[in-house]
Amino acid sequence: MQKEKMMDVKKEPILQLPESVKQDILGYREAVAKFLRGETKPISFKAYRVPMGIYEQRAEGRYMVRIRIGAGLVLPAQLTKIAELSRQYGNGIVHVTTRQDIQIHEVDIEHTPDVLEGLLEVGLAARGGGGNTVRNVTACPRAGVCPNEQFDVAPYAIAAAEYLLQFKSSYNLPRKYKIVFSGCSNDCAFASVADVGFFAHVKDGQRGFAVYAGGGLGANPAVAVKIEEFVPESKVLEVAEAVRRVFDKNGDRSNKHKARLRYVLGRVGEDEFVRLYKVKREQIAEQGLEGDIPIVRQLDGRFEVSEPSADSDLTLPQGQNIKAEKTAGLCSLTLRLHLGDISADDLMQVGRIADELGAGLVRTTQLQNLLITSVKAENVEQAVSQLKAIGIDVVGDTAPQVVACTGAATCKLGLCLSRGLAAAIKEEFAKTGLAPRNHEIAMRISGCPNSCGHHCIAPIGFQGRAKRIQGKLMPFYDVLVGGKTIEGLAELGRTIATVPAKSIPTLVAEAFSAGAVEGEEFEELAHKYEHTAETEYPHEYFHDFGSSEPFSLAGRGPGECGAGMMDVMKVDIDEAETAIKAAADQQGREKDETLYKAAVAAARTLLVIFGIEPTKDREIFAAFKQHLIDPGWVAPETQEILDRAVDWRMGDRNSIGDSESQIAGLAVRIKELFLSLDAALKFQVEPVVKPKDSEKSQTEIRPVDLRGVACPLNFVKAKLELEKIDVGDVLELVLDSGDPVRNVPESFVRQGQNVLEIKESGDHFTVKVRREK
Amino acid sequence: MKLTEQQIRRYSRNIILEEVGGEGQQKLLESKVLIIGAGGLGAPAGLYLAAAGVGTIGVIDADKVDLTNLQRQVIHHTDDVGTKKVVSARNKMLAINPDITVKTYQHRAMAANIREIIREYDFVIDATDNFPAKFLINDACYFEKKPFSHAGILRFDGQLITVLPGETTCYRCIFGAPPPAGDVPSCSQAGVLGVLAGVIGSLQATEAIKYILGIGDLLTNQLLTYNALTMDFRKVSLERNPRCPICGENPEITELKDEEQAACDPDN
Repeated sequence: MQKEKMMDVKKEPILQLPESVKQDILGYREAVAKFLRGETKPISFKAYRVPMGIYEQRAEGRYMVRIRIGAGLVLPAQLTKIAELSRQYGNGIVHVTTRQDIQIHEVDIEHTPDVLEGLLEVGLAARGGGGNTVRNVTACPRAGVCPNEQFDVAPYAIAAAEYLLQFKSSYNLPRKYKIVFSGCSNDCAFASVADVGFFAHVKDGQRGFAVYAGGGLGANPAVAVKIEEFVPESKVLEVAEAVRRVFDKNGDRSNKHKARLRYVLGRVGEDEFVRLYKVKREQIAEQGLEGDIPIVRQLDGRFEVSEPSADSDLTLPQGQNIKAEKTAGLCSLTLRLHLGDISADDLMQVGRIADELGAGLVRTTQLQNLLITSVKAENVEQAVSQLKAIGIDVVGDTAPQVVACTGAATCKLGLCLSRGLAAAIKEEFAKTGLAPRNHEIAMRISGCPNSCGHHCIAPIGFQGRAKRIQGKLMPFYDVLVGGKTIEGLAELGRTIATVPAKSIPTLVAEAFSAGAVEGEEFEELAHKYEHTAETEYPHEYFHDFGSSEPFSLAGRGPGECGAGMMDVMKVDIDEAETAIKAAADQQGREKDETLYKAAVAAARTLLVIFGIEPTKDREIFAAFKQHLIDPGWVAPETQEILDRAVDWRMGDRNSIGDSESQIAGLAVRIKELFLSLDAALKFQVEPVVKPKDSEKSQTEIRPVDLRGVACPLNFVKAKLELEKIDVGDVLELVLDSGDPVRNVPESFVRQGQNVLEIKESGDHFTVKVRREK
Repeated sequence: MKLTEQQIRRYSRNIILEEVGGEGQQKLLESKVLIIGAGGLGAPAGLYLAAAGVGTIGVIDADKVDLTNLQRQVIHHTDDVGTKKVVSARNKMLAINPDITVKTYQHRAMAANIREIIREYDFVIDATDNFPAKFLINDACYFEKKPFSHAGILRFDGQLITVLPGETTCYRCIFGAPPPAGDVPSCSQAGVLGVLAGVIGSLQATEAIKYILGIGDLLTNQLLTYNALTMDFRKVSLERNPRCPICGENPEITELKDEEQAACDPDN
């Protein structure tokens, strides 16, 4: 009887979802049905779907469900359910995120309600997993068992989540809102860079927290500032709510790229920020909190194991992945996952092992691993061998931890294939047979400056960028060192070198084998691999990891800031300016050559915004005409200058020295346009010439963009578009290269339609089809 | 109505076809087909029409699923034994395609009710197993001017014809009246190869779809016969019979009546 009762308690979800969240989830099925029936517009459905924790993936019609795992604590029964849902509706691979969420991938939209309802059965929810919401409230992965901690912070993280999740306004903030609890100043949970970070402290025997706010990573990372020296534990909810209100009121809803709390902090300054907070805090102190106030439920007792055998002289097996806990005789096992991925089957096994040999609790960690805690020393061997049976090597896996964002493979903003680099580093370690001494040093990789891989808080971080070498683009990484998140001493990493992507694995292996992973030694080593004018690069340096195509930025879209693209544009405009300066002191043929170079660089600068990256001069000028001259962004006379430049290059003209001032003028205008770009990569200055309305209506064949749509669905969609126009009218399509451009026009021809034109532009094609019947 | 993203994907292989396209798919979604008999012929016809996205499908059958049906009536599963056939058939069609509407009529097609039912459909599939019903359907479709597909199967042989009443050869043009009871053995007495029902029922669905889309040549004024043992498909050309008792020059039949004869499977 007693035992059964214990079991029940163990099955009760740790985070108790507010009733309103349950209702929201139950209403989701009808919302999806309405969307599928075509009664809801895709755009409004998306606005509803993302805050429900459902993201569209790059593969068409497939969705990712991001499940909140409060404080990273998850029960075996919950894992089993997640695994089952992933197998039944997803791709059978489960993903652990750096914010302790668990994701199910590749779910069809019509099955997303099944997934959400299935999760609800075990008390889990994706509500608030995405969008401008209170995101998962995270905590130290070893909260409650870590010998270093002041006290267990998980119950406070859970209570904060339970409290905030009940309000509708928590799902409609200016931008996302991340709350983090760290059990001590070591800050394993990264409270130093959160929107609100709580650090556990005990003062005069009383539990409480130092509170920091306004931190965040992303494109413009910032360390949080202290807003409370010490608040007693009973005031945690008041603080979290007060900061939320500051954010709600002051966050910039008009510009999502500048909306996070750290921009409020940046805008008003630290003093004013703290004052705004104090006002809200006092307001709450006077009026009291609204809504249901959850009880902070201590978790000790729920997940206790029987006393470890007192007589055992067992020395606790130690190692990188096995750590002693504060209760003598117990330890935590880290299950290292490759970039956070684990198969659904293995996940179930992990739950079972935690149930049988641990305390019936699994944790997700910020390094995208899983953790089984409270394993008795005498059970470790058994647990290790059972884990080994499912391919998780707790003892042997000692390679340095590598964390990477998803990268350019699936992310539209990404520059470099960061996951490819992570795999290459691991391979390099395996190849060199290196047993690294400094395996505690985690490396973090972001494919672009948006720092989703948290590169700026790692001891060693890499940030993807692009450089033009010998006229071609090459993937590079900035190497950062010194990032750390210790309470009050948090620092963002500083860039010490910029190294070709293909040199990074060698650099890392060399550093670890020499023990030179920190300080000047590492810096010196990194410089060795930097680009110099003399460096000769093998062909593969122009290809990113795992890519057979030469590195390119074509097709990348504007992102949080499009920072990577800004870099590349800067290179070109600098080149143009330098050339124009140089030409001033030159004569004759040399001057012509330099001016020509300036014209090409200026014309090329902005093309990347339009998703194209021509390499031949002729193509550059043609694209420039289409995207910048025709729409009126630069003066129409520019065409003549470019024509002259081409004539000179072809030998039909003796000199372009007489165009010097016009070319300089072009560069000035290009720079003006470049500097005016906003976060969405739109020009903020007026065009030189307004496109004439009459012309516009004439040339307004709106192309149907079918890039990213696979065969034969692209033809299906193209055909449906063709049916919308009258016989004799022309449909313009944008298609991917490869199969799409091979198949779609041919299919139209076979069906008696008239393909008028197939034109290559960058990495895609535009196709014109006239409806014949 | 615009096709939804899901519909575009579901019907992509239809839409790709030059003769179908989005417009053809729209026609299918807006069309209504009545299947009389949810047995061997009705099973494949119902499944394929549902899959193709025929927007409304009606099913008439009075019987319940019997274990002896399962050898050929693939729309019914072992678990369905004892269930009403129309319910079992509807569930399968909706499982294949929840996009569509299925209307069920759990009774025999009789002179008293059939005209009213077929009136609201665009095309009728005669998937019955007995002569009285086949003549009744022919006559009802004549009076309502509804195109229909007739088919019959026995042992290893099947036959098929499409009738545009008043325009092309009808069932009575060929056969006049039901044979005397006992002249032709029934399936339960003579047996039938299960897959034969699949072949012929699928051909009926093909005719329905072609009619809705207005494509190809319908099997009119021609009786198709098929022998599964020899794999002979033969088309016998026919003409309208001026002495046809219903569509001839001096029709004798002016109203519907129920013919008397035992069904193919009287134990059913």
